[in-house]
Amino acid sequence: MPPGRHPLPREFITQHQRARIIAALAEETVDKGYRAVTVADIVRRAGIARNTFYENFSSKEDCFLAASEFALDEALRRVTDAAGRVDSWPARVNVGLAALLHYVAGEPALARACIVEVLSAGPAAVERYESSIQAFVPLLRMGRKVSPNGEQLPDTLEETIVGGIFWILYQRIVTGQVEEVEELLPELVEFSLTPYFGVEAAKRAAAEAEPPTDA
Amino acid sequence: MARKPSKKPARTRRPAPEAEDYPPELARLPPGRHGLPREFVTRNQRERLIAGLAEAVSEHGYSGATIAHITRSAAVSRRTFYEHFAGKDECFVAAYDTVMGELRERVSEAFEQTDDWARAVKAGIAAMLGFLASNPSLARLCMVEALVAGPAVVERYDAAIQSFVPYFQKGREGRSPEVLSRLSETTEEALVGGMVSLISRRIIAGRTEELEELLPDLVEFTLTPYLGSDEAARIANED
Repeated sequence: MPPGRHPLPREFITQHQRARIIAALAEETVDKGYRAVTVADIVRRAGIARNTFYENFSSKEDCFLAASEFALDEALRRVTDAAGRVDSWPARVNVGLAALLHYVAGEPALARACIVEVLSAGPAAVERYESSIQAFVPLLRMGRKVSPNGEQLPDTLEETIVGGIFWILYQRIVTGQVEEVEELLPELVEFSLTPYFGVEAAKRAAAEAEPPTDA
Repeated sequence: MARKPSKKPARTRRPAPEAEDYPPELARLPPGRHGLPREFVTRNQRERLIAGLAEAVSEHGYSGATIAHITRSAAVSRRTFYEHFAGKDECFVAAYDTVMGELRERVSEAFEQTDDWARAVKAGIAAMLGFLASNPSLARLCMVEALVAGPAVVERYDAAIQSFVPYFQKGREGRSPEVLSRLSETTEEALVGGMVSLISRRIIAGRTEELEELLPDLVEFTLTPYLGSDEAARIANED
């Protein structure tokens, strides 16, 4: 479906429709699971015409990939914004993770769709999910510059840390504890910092950089 | 081990996995007259179907694989398929359980070989990487396609991954209260999750054969919280 077909004035409407369709998909997915959701379900929940759906997306899978990309982009934006407001790298890891957990806890449907259900959406979706979460890798990689053993750290370290964090989120969502993920902050900060500074220094950094109370 | 001559035209795509790549219980019984007891044949048909599913899924993906693909790979009739399984999903569950069972057994055997926990972890990870690297289609089946195969399999997948947690938790035994206080409740879960996600990424990227190269990195990563980075790196890089 060539999206460039519409004249410019429709662009705003289209954007808005896309967001609505994505939200509808997320909600339907939470109710039924990815496999069971149909385009008809999404269309009904979004209150749009079936044609409108197909003007925006070629299939359920396409819509799902867009939803997942949207959410992960948004998560990355929030993490980078938060991290940009503090100076030291350990503090950045702390506030960045706090922003990520806050987003996940505040958007349980979207989080479930994009962290759990996405894995059921086929290898193409999984591949895109995996590459999206790797966008967090460079943020962690900066830690090598301030780590005493930055030169010798394994090459795959950051990939593994990001994978570990998302696995924990996955588990919490699956077991119905998504609203409480913010409580994991000190543990995940420590998990992320340990390879760079050793357990004790990481624990200190995690304790020092408690999240701002207004968060 | 005689293979049924393929009726398919020669393709330039990735070749079908050789039977020798499979663990023994997935090995094929050559089709044809063999005068074996019926019970053995039935059992063997089931195993052939499981191997057939692994081949079909590796070639077409879970969603694209059909009963026809499976029965063709297994060289059994469609009717035989339905004598064993109600459908593709049920066959997949059986295949998943077989492959995961084998993987877990190999990891457990390797881990039990030594009382030295850190070396046992290293041996366990090496066994896992070795099994996956030498069975690319089974690796794909249990680490990637499983997630697509419906809620029943996803639940099994989650449980299987979590079943590796106790190996790491054992690393807490006999440590000083000081070390213990440094570990958090989710440490092991995060270590296993990180490891599995790295492995899955390599499989998705078609780099399954290179998995064994990840051994030192994964050993260092998983041992660091318990031993500190210097000791973890030393053990990771020794022969």
